[in-house]
Amino acid sequence: MSENNDVILKVEGLKTYFYQASGMTKAVDGVSFTLKEGQTMGIVGESGSGKSVTSSSVMRLMPSKTAKIVEGEITFDGVDLLKLSKKDLLKFRGNECCMIFQNPMTSLDPVFKIGHQMVEMIREHHKVSKKEAWNQAVEALKLVGIPEAEKRMEAYPHELSGGMCQRVIIAMAVCGNPKLIIADEPTTALDVTVQAQVLELLKDLQKKMNTAILLITHNLGVVWEMCDTVMVMYAGNTVEYADTKTLYQEPLHPYTWGLLDSMPKLSSSSKEALVTIPGTPPDLRLTGYCCNFYNRCPYVTDACRESVPPLVEVKPGHFVACHRQNGENHLKRGEVNGDE
Amino acid sequence: MSDKKVIMKVENLSKEFVIHGKKLMEPKKMLHALSDVSFDIYEGETLGIIGESGCGKSTLGRCLVQLHKPTSGMILYEGEDLWKMNGEKKRETRRNIQMIFQDPYSSLDPRKTASYSIEEAMKVHGLGENSRERHQRALEALQEVGLDIQHMERYPHEFSGGQRQRVNIARALSISPKIIVCDEPVSALDVSIQAQVINLFKKIQQERKLTYVFISHDLGIIKYISDRIIIMYLGRIMETYTAEGIYSNPLHPYTRALLSAIPPESPFEKKERMPLHGDIPSPIGDQVGCPLAGRCPNCTERCKKEIPKLVDVGDHHMVACFLYE
Repeated sequence: MSENNDVILKVEGLKTYFYQASGMTKAVDGVSFTLKEGQTMGIVGESGSGKSVTSSSVMRLMPSKTAKIVEGEITFDGVDLLKLSKKDLLKFRGNECCMIFQNPMTSLDPVFKIGHQMVEMIREHHKVSKKEAWNQAVEALKLVGIPEAEKRMEAYPHELSGGMCQRVIIAMAVCGNPKLIIADEPTTALDVTVQAQVLELLKDLQKKMNTAILLITHNLGVVWEMCDTVMVMYAGNTVEYADTKTLYQEPLHPYTWGLLDSMPKLSSSSKEALVTIPGTPPDLRLTGYCCNFYNRCPYVTDACRESVPPLVEVKPGHFVACHRQNGENHLKRGEVNGDE
Repeated sequence: MSDKKVIMKVENLSKEFVIHGKKLMEPKKMLHALSDVSFDIYEGETLGIIGESGCGKSTLGRCLVQLHKPTSGMILYEGEDLWKMNGEKKRETRRNIQMIFQDPYSSLDPRKTASYSIEEAMKVHGLGENSRERHQRALEALQEVGLDIQHMERYPHEFSGGQRQRVNIARALSISPKIIVCDEPVSALDVSIQAQVINLFKKIQQERKLTYVFISHDLGIIKYISDRIIIMYLGRIMETYTAEGIYSNPLHPYTRALLSAIPPESPFEKKERMPLHGDIPSPIGDQVGCPLAGRCPNCTERCKKEIPKLVDVGDHHMVACFLYE
């Protein structure tokens, strides 16, 4: 699996299920992707499509009582993550791979000063003195562009704004010089101008440190700006996976079409009704027997109701899971469904 | 523009919140949520209000529906001050101005069914002869927003986010208001559901000739739905113009920065960023100078001392910046 040195993270056929009293929820049901060194991959999808569960599965942060990785492989830099012991996992998190969460205010402990939290984190992973760790922390804060870094070390999280807190989190993430940063909706809680600042910062750091970034978002604009490749998820499945430009120019899956069309465009001045995807996403307890998108898809056929479409590579690097886009069949965007 | 009827007029509206000191004898502080805000709302239009969090846009919306009493200034509805009305007139005005909130879940009572929530609003306003008629009208309101009879007796947790927001819209519609203040009504929803709800808003507006005040921080949605746009920053209006005009010809430095911060629409588009450094200053305490002074690339000495007034630069394009005086 690790012959290709470029590949930093490889996920294959990942299935994470939740076991609850009300039944088994297939939160992630067959997700595969590869992420190369220094690249950014975006995962887009609606809430409940399994984006966050995918990233938490990579970090092995799922609650062990209810969630289970049923199938699949996660290889990070040649190491099978699913076979790591608890101790090795702790080493992996923080050193090799870091995570940035959606809400910056809740990711920091409100009762400890920023400096205390950063020093604690650094000393957990590296054998350094307190003073050394303190200096490293100040350096990291400077790196992410926090003014008066020394003074901020003595601040509590509530004294900082949301954008500043997110910078502190990013600083903590890059302290260990990780090979992979998983950013789970890093800018959703922030305002547009602050969002732009944080995205610039992430791009900057990536250039300096050659880190791979796995960016989870529901904002396609952020994807266009940041990502090299993008994976579209729907109801726990990968529906399309391609490099960003291809996905924008020639999207193949009907769900991707709907997603692209339903965004109001700033450049167009049309006031016509937005194109919508009718209906709502399916109950994840009942999926896995047919194409999950069949009841909302305008191009549905009998095959869609009968079996799960496999993820097929239609062009080099362009994967799509749709019965009507599997190489033999080729559906065009906007085509009227003539089969029925 | 001038031939349209002004349905609501906001004049020099200010809202301050008192922040009590945490320590003994610590003096009170003033938080200026809105300072000297004036604008008109025309009948049948959609007025978009954009700003970052903490700029006072929600406070403004709440003042319009009389949830906050303004510290100074007036809000005139059809020529009468909202806070000087009495009795029947006051009740009627309250009925005519309704609000839809951001979080569709917390704005519905979790222990009441959808139809009960809608009927209660009618009952409070004395609409409908008897409960049977109110029940019928609740059903009609639900059908108007795309739900049907099977959703009548459901509880909020049984609805999806988009459906819940539809129930909220139905509740606002059931008492036939003239103005609906929508405070970020779609930001809690997913993209595909967002488009459905926005289309619904548009459809209802055409059918009922409603006036919307649409508050949001999503610039794409605001542009799509609004006729005119107000851009706010730190409790003040920075720029007002038509939706088209403000995007094609933004004048205020803040508007330009805000527009340049929107993520691109395609991977091929390279955006020229006009960076705004730092964060929004605190609205606590007295303001000296232009609120943007600390972050503005065109800041001059004058900006630090005086507060610019909103001036008309032609064609009802209002800007509050010394660059255009």
